[in-house]
Amino acid sequence: MPGLSLAARDASSTAETPPEAARARQLAALLLEVARCVDKDLASVLPSRLDGDPRLEAVRSVLLEQDRAAFDRLQQKVNDPQQLAEAISAVLARAFDLAGSRDEQLATVLAPTMERATQASIRRDPNVLVGILYPLMGPAISKSIAETLDGTLHGLNQAFKHSFSWRGLKWRLEAYRSGSTFADVVLKHTVVFRVEHVFLIHRKTGLLLEHVAAPQAASQDPHMVSGMLTAIQDFVRDSFSPEKGSSGGGIDSLRLGELLLWCEEGPSAFLAAVIRGNPPETFHTVLRGTLARIHEELRGPLDEFNGDSATLGDLVARLEGCLQQQEQPQEKRISPWLWALPLALVLALASWMVLRTVEAYRVEAYVQELRGQPGVVVTGAERRDGKWHVSGLRDPLAADPAELLANSNLGPERVVGHWEPYQALNPAIVVRRIRSTLNPPPDVALLIDGKSNTIRALGNAPQHWVEKARALAAALPAGSPRIDLSALKDIQDPTFIRLRNAIQAHIISFDSGAPRPGPGQEAALDAVASELGELIRVARGLGFSVRVMITGHADSTGKETSNLSLSAARAEVVRSMLRARGIAPDLLSVRSAGALEPLRPGASEQEQAINRSVTFTVSTSD
Amino acid sequence: MLQKKVCVLGAFGVGKTSLVRRYVQSIFSDAYLTTVGVKVDKKTLTVGTEPVTLVLWDVAGEDDVNAIRMTYVRGAAGYFLVVDGTRAETLEVARRIQERVTKEIGPIPFMLLLNKADLQENWELPTQSIEALERAGWAIFRTSAKTGDSVEEAFQELAKRMVA
Repeated sequence: MPGLSLAARDASSTAETPPEAARARQLAALLLEVARCVDKDLASVLPSRLDGDPRLEAVRSVLLEQDRAAFDRLQQKVNDPQQLAEAISAVLARAFDLAGSRDEQLATVLAPTMERATQASIRRDPNVLVGILYPLMGPAISKSIAETLDGTLHGLNQAFKHSFSWRGLKWRLEAYRSGSTFADVVLKHTVVFRVEHVFLIHRKTGLLLEHVAAPQAASQDPHMVSGMLTAIQDFVRDSFSPEKGSSGGGIDSLRLGELLLWCEEGPSAFLAAVIRGNPPETFHTVLRGTLARIHEELRGPLDEFNGDSATLGDLVARLEGCLQQQEQPQEKRISPWLWALPLALVLALASWMVLRTVEAYRVEAYVQELRGQPGVVVTGAERRDGKWHVSGLRDPLAADPAELLANSNLGPERVVGHWEPYQALNPAIVVRRIRSTLNPPPDVALLIDGKSNTIRALGNAPQHWVEKARALAAALPAGSPRIDLSALKDIQDPTFIRLRNAIQAHIISFDSGAPRPGPGQEAALDAVASELGELIRVARGLGFSVRVMITGHADSTGKETSNLSLSAARAEVVRSMLRARGIAPDLLSVRSAGALEPLRPGASEQEQAINRSVTFTVSTSD
Repeated sequence: MLQKKVCVLGAFGVGKTSLVRRYVQSIFSDAYLTTVGVKVDKKTLTVGTEPVTLVLWDVAGEDDVNAIRMTYVRGAAGYFLVVDGTRAETLEVARRIQERVTKEIGPIPFMLLLNKADLQENWELPTQSIEALERAGWAIFRTSAKTGDSVEEAFQELAKRMVA
C-alpha cells in the first residue's frame, strides 16, 4: 500500500527536519502530484518527488493525520477476530435483508452451506431438527393427507357414481383394454372443469390486488367480490377458529351447485379461484405454486401494500397460468348417414319380425278355430317356402276352411290348405248328413244328446220318410251316434190314402186271350188316370213322389208261358193307355204275373174273368 | 389505481346502510349484514387528479350484546362513525367505537357523520358534546341519507385525508 509506506517514510523524515519545513515539503510534493494528475505532460518535466523538502512532508502529515488514525483503528479491528465479529454482527441482519430483497444470489450462495449445516446437525442430533420442524410438520402432513384423501374420495365418489351406468360399463371396458384402474378411467372422463375467475386478494385489507377471468365468465365487480370473500373468510375464521386472531382456519373450499371456490392462503395475500366443474386435486398445487412465487418475488411490496396496485407490477401474467380448463374429450361423431343404413336394417328387421309374429299369431288363431270345427282334424301347420301349409282331414259336410281363412285377416295366398276327405262320426256332422240326405220334413227336429251320443228325431213325419231314415241309420258305420226315431209320429194324408186306395181298387178287365182291355174299360182307365194325376200332386205336396206298378194277370187256361206274355202285354197296353192320358211313363212300371197271382183262386167262369185283368199298386219313393 | 378500504361504523339503526346506498349502487343483498355482519360496496372518485377506489365495508351496527367485529376493520385506511342525530346514545357508541379502533387498529383518518340532518328539529345531541369533539380535532359532517345532504362531501373529504 503506497500510502502507508509514504506515511511511514514521512514519519521518519520528520525527525530530521524542522516541523514547518517538513510540512511545507509535504505540501509541495502533494501539489506536484496533483499537477501531474491534472496534466500528464508535466509528469515528464517535473520531478516526481521533492526529496529532502521537509515542508511537503509536513503538509502531507497534517492532511492525512485523522485518516491515518481511523485507518489504524480499522486495521486493528480487522486484525482482531473478536472485534471483527462484533462489527459484522451489528450489520449482518441488515445486510442479509438487503441482499435477499435485491435478488436470489444470497439464497443461491447460502443454500449449499445451509444444506451442509442441516446435514451436520442431523448427524449430530436428529432431535434438534425434529423439534424445530415438529410444529410445521403436523399441519403440513395433515393437509397433505387431507388433500390425498380428498383426491382419493373424489375418485371413489366418481367411481361409485358411474359404476352401474351404461357409461360406467363402457369405462370398465376401457379400463380393461388400457390396463388402467377403473377409478383412473372414471377420473379421466369426469375431471372436467374450467377456472372462471382468479382473485389475488390482500389479506390484511381485503383489497383486490389482481383479478383475471376466463373469456365470457360472468361475475360481479371484482373489488366487491374480493371484499366480500375476505369478509366471509374473516367471519368463518372468527366464528370457528379456536384461536382468536388466528391467521389460518378460513375457507379452503366452498361449493355452490356447479361452481366451486378454492382458496389458497399465503402470508400476505390469498388466491381465490372460482371453478366450474370438478377440478383435479392437483389444481391445488397449481394455486399454491402460483401464490408461493408471487410471495417470493413480491414479498416487500405485499407487506407494504397501501392500496396502490402499481407497486406490484404486472400480476396478470402470473395469474393467467391458473386459468386452466379441461374439457371432456369430444367423442368422434359419426355421420348421420352411417347411422341410417343400420337403422333402416334394424327397422326392417324389426318390422319383419313383428309381421312374422303377427302372422304366426293369426295362423295359430286360424288353426285353433279349425280345430274347434266338427268334422275337421288339423294334423299339421308349418311355414314352408314362404307360405303356411295347414293340412288335415275334413268331412265334406264340415265348415269350409277357405271361408274361415277369409275371416282370419290372413291373405288367402299366405295359407295353403291340404285336406283329405273323411266321414266324421261327430254327432253334429251326422245330423248334417241326415239333413242333406233325407231332407226331413219341416216338423222334424233333430237333437243331439251328447251324453248318450244319440241323435233324437222329434216331430211328425210320413211313414215313407221314417222308413228312409231308419234305412240310413242302419247304414251308418260302427261308432256313429245312435239315431233314435221312436219319438216320431207317423202321419198319413187322408187324401193320399183315399186316392191310393181308389187307384189300387181299380181292376181293368180283359176278354179271354185279348191283350187290350174289354169293352167298357175306357171309363175305368180314365178314372185311374185322373186319380193317379191327383195322387202325384198330393204326394209332391207332402214332399215325396209316387210310383205305380201295373201288374198284368191272366186266367189259368192256356200255357203258362203264354199267360205270362199275355199278362205282360196287358200291363204294357194299360201303361200306354195311361201315358196317353197324361201320366208320366217314368212313374209307371209294369210287371207280368201270368196266372201265378190270381185275383180269385177258383176256376169258375166268373172267377176266370176276374183273373183276366190288370191291377195297380201305388208305392212312394224320393 | 389506488384503492382504499373504508369502514362505515356506528350503532344499530343510525343509517349506515342508507348512507352507503345513497352514495353507491349496491349489488350485494343487505341480507349479508344480518348473516355475515358486513356488506361490501365500491365507489370510485377522484382526489386531485388521481382516481381512488373506495371499498366500503358497511359493518353491522353495534349494541350492548353485539360488538363490532374488529376483524372487519383491520386493514382499513379510514372509517366513518355514523351517529343518529335523533338518538343521543348513538354518539356515545360512536365514541366507544373510535376508542376501540384507535386502540386496536391505530390512528387512521375518520369522520363523524351526524346523520338524519333532515330531522334536525328532533335532534337530541348535546351541542356541547359536539363542540368538544370538534375541539378535539374530530371532522364532523351533518348528513342526510334521505336528502343526500353532505354525503358526497363527507366521502370526498375522507378520501382526501386518506390519500394525503
